[in-house]
Amino acid sequence: MDVGFIGLGLMGRPMALNLLKAGHRVQVWSRRRESMQPLLEAGAGDCASAAEVARRAAVTISMVADAPDVEQVTLGPDGVADGAAPGHIHIDMSTIAPAAAQSIAARLSARGVLALDAPVSGGEPGAIAGTLTIMVGGEADACARVQPLFEAMGKSITRIGEAGAGQVAKACNQIITGVGVAAVAEALNFASKSGVDGAKVREALLGGFAYSRILENHGQRMLERNFKPGFKAWMHQKDVRIVMGEAHRLGVALPTAAATAQLFNGMIGCGMGEDDSVAMLKLLERMSGGLGE
Amino acid sequence: MKIGFIGLGVMGGPMVGHLRAAGHDLAVWARRPESAAALVAEGVPLCATPSELAARSEVVITIVTASADVEALAFGPNGLAAGFAPGGIHLDMSTIAPATARSLAARYAERGIGWVDAPVSGGGQGARDATLAIMAGAEAATLARVRPLLGVLGKRIVHIGPPGAGQVAKACNQMIMVSAIQACAEAFRLAGAHGVDKAAVLRALAGGSAGSRVLEVMGAKMVERDFAAGVEARLHHKDFAILMEEAARLGAPLPVAAQVWQQLDALMGAGWGRDDTASLLRVLEG
Repeated sequence: MDVGFIGLGLMGRPMALNLLKAGHRVQVWSRRRESMQPLLEAGAGDCASAAEVARRAAVTISMVADAPDVEQVTLGPDGVADGAAPGHIHIDMSTIAPAAAQSIAARLSARGVLALDAPVSGGEPGAIAGTLTIMVGGEADACARVQPLFEAMGKSITRIGEAGAGQVAKACNQIITGVGVAAVAEALNFASKSGVDGAKVREALLGGFAYSRILENHGQRMLERNFKPGFKAWMHQKDVRIVMGEAHRLGVALPTAAATAQLFNGMIGCGMGEDDSVAMLKLLERMSGGLGE
Repeated sequence: MKIGFIGLGVMGGPMVGHLRAAGHDLAVWARRPESAAALVAEGVPLCATPSELAARSEVVITIVTASADVEALAFGPNGLAAGFAPGGIHLDMSTIAPATARSLAARYAERGIGWVDAPVSGGGQGARDATLAIMAGAEAATLARVRPLLGVLGKRIVHIGPPGAGQVAKACNQMIMVSAIQACAEAFRLAGAHGVDKAAVLRALAGGSAGSRVLEVMGAKMVERDFAAGVEARLHHKDFAILMEEAARLGAPLPVAAQVWQQLDALMGAGWGRDDTASLLRVLEG
């Protein structure tokens, strides 16, 4: 399939490489040109704008930081909508607010572009391995047509519902993972302050009812004090802010997510924004009379 | 002084009365002209646009709901900025985001127009009694020119700092006040669960170290189950979204305020947004 890819960061680069590996013809453009280099070397086509990507492909994918970036590359000057032929499909795989996804989809549709929101879970390792979880919102037909592309990047692919529904599922994912990271960090800090070996606690718990992927993976990195991203704390904070904003709009109480959001705020305030979100352990250590280094 | 006034609600209505009683030459603009009918009948000029109001005024006072409302009044089509003569002052007494206040001040400054953010605390009662607490963000010289007006509206006027600083103080005020309302709601929920006389608890506590204005006013409303607004809860809910978003941007953890925000979300979800914030008690009653 002829597919365009916009946004070649930590997540986008391996996702685009996996599309190439699966035999798709991939066109790329990125705001930072140097981030395109690995893709060009692997055989991707070099484009000068998002509009050019759309002209040369039937489907475009964006993987950028936040809603204003998605708006810019799709609806802005020289954006996807400027280059797209009628019936073009745009898949945004960034994490943005469900309301923003709905609004962008409606405006793209008015310009003849079918829009899907398809945020992912699984982080950089999942992007590299091609094992991402993909949650899709948008028309079922369009979703079916791009299924081979999703299969090149992910393992578990679920259409949740209409436009924006993928982002709602991703928001749910961020509630559970954000709170999960905080819970694992609290438990390991509690073990350590109680004079108990956190590694043994983790090992024991992995066999029981507290088992989770986060305890397994994030817990291990906390024990190794490996705070390299991964998934940067400021990005996790951004995702939780989206969730809290939606909860505010809907009149839904999320007390536990709200507490977690404050821990993320504390991380940003302490200069841990560029660390992985597992650095929340350091913040909790500082809140418990420790140095948290 | 020639004054323009926009926002004839629960707060703005009595404020207009005080300014006129003090002898100022007042004109108004209203989004819904019928809301100004009573004033017009008394001879107060009603302008056709905010711009026209600014053109006839040295100072325009606004007290409206949201950041977007103030932005639209200032720089929207036929906005105040288009009408002010150089040296004019926009005195905004609404509760809005500090970032919005700073940006409006900067845009006005480019045109030689002054800005004061002067949000208030004290509610409808404070507005009627002219006893509002006023927290101002402005250049000192600009504030000095409107201080006589503020003196007509309130009792305690504090210059916090440059533009936007008044809104920061107001955010702190809202955080403490609504968190205290939540604490009162929880206390009366506990008293209720024990089957103890809430009115007696209120009387006892008012004299002790838990005594506060919030306990006195909101505690009484909770005991009497009077949930009619004073200040509508949806406005506090709106304020919390602003202050929590700024806290996230700045990396400031606010664990208690975050929980209070969730209780306000629950209150909104229950459909009590136009009732008083004392309804936080009802949220706890499930």
